[in-house]
Amino acid sequence: MDSNTGISVVLKAEQVGSLFGLTLTNSLLMTWLVMIILIGFTFYFRRKIALIPGKLQVGIEWLFEGVLNYMTETLESEHYARKFFPLIMTIFLLVLVGNELAFIPGIGSVGFHAPEGFIPLFRAPGADLNFTLALAFISFFTIEITGIVVLGFWKYGKKYVNFSSPINFVVGLIELLSNLGRIISFSFRLFGNIFAGEVMIVVAGFFVSYFLPVPLEMFEVFVGFIQAVVFAMLTLFFIKLGIMEPHGEEAH
Amino acid sequence: MGALLDAFGIQTHLLIAQLVNFAVLFTVLWYFLYRPVMKTLDERRKVVAKGVEDAREAEAALKDAGETASVITRGAETEAEGIVARARDEAGTERDRLVKDAQARAEGIEKDAEARAKEEHERVLRESEKEIARLAIMAAEKAMRKA
Repeated sequence: MDSNTGISVVLKAEQVGSLFGLTLTNSLLMTWLVMIILIGFTFYFRRKIALIPGKLQVGIEWLFEGVLNYMTETLESEHYARKFFPLIMTIFLLVLVGNELAFIPGIGSVGFHAPEGFIPLFRAPGADLNFTLALAFISFFTIEITGIVVLGFWKYGKKYVNFSSPINFVVGLIELLSNLGRIISFSFRLFGNIFAGEVMIVVAGFFVSYFLPVPLEMFEVFVGFIQAVVFAMLTLFFIKLGIMEPHGEEAH
Repeated sequence: MGALLDAFGIQTHLLIAQLVNFAVLFTVLWYFLYRPVMKTLDERRKVVAKGVEDAREAEAALKDAGETASVITRGAETEAEGIVARARDEAGTERDRLVKDAQARAEGIEKDAEARAKEEHERVLRESEKEIARLAIMAAEKAMRKA
């Protein structure tokens, strides 16, 4: 960072080029990098899968089984746990690798100088609302569609539009709003955490270039992990809420 | 709203690109990572279950074999005891017979020896009588010749 230009904080992902006339942002580039890493690892690992596992496979299996067991406990059904495992795991891995990759030296500092200042080539995907909003949509629609498929359209709809009593009607509306609000909360939670972390490190680095950013970066590595877990777990919990039978309001 | 979206750099094609990214990653990881790993886990679970079942069966078979072996051993023991007892019986009668035989033969030999000794004695006696008579005649002849 040029010390004479002051702190530059950009809320949106910067454009680093264009592809077929569409803007190409640095966070999109980074997302592709993450995908290359994950898919590359998958194809490397795929050939080594054996009944008698190696160390790497033991670690992967430990992770998968742990997540699957946790999901089975949460969803109270191994069938659903296995169904939703790929989604939850992919969300977790994508967000995790995306967040942590930003701390690899070189990722944030490789870039070019443009008239509006230095533009890094890569930007943590989580620090771009496009990415977090896309994930939030995926989460949201999975949750809603799962609820409709499992409970049926009318039963699921009764959770939100319920004319059985004025109170139930209001409760349903609140439920509906809070569901829609998940899109906002999902996307802005991740965006806010990752973006704030980057800003904090930039600011700290501006004032004290040495040593001070180190513990902050360690903390942000931790935050990056926690946010990946939170995104995946909240999706899981909301799926559970979605497939739960509506409350027997009459019994209250 | 437009200004808000612009402030955060929301663009439809970027949003769609990220959705597609996720879809691609999801599909690839599902087919090439989750499925094979889960299959391996299930397979291993099956193998372990089969191993445990086999071990249980082997244990049962071992117990069975042990019982069979003890039954056989017991049978063999009683049979062996019978054989030994019979052999001992047979040996006893055989010994008695042998002893009696030996006694009889010994008695026979004794009698024989006695008879032969008596005969010899008599023969010796007869011969010595003859000798004495001859000597007496010779002595008488000598005496008569001197006289």
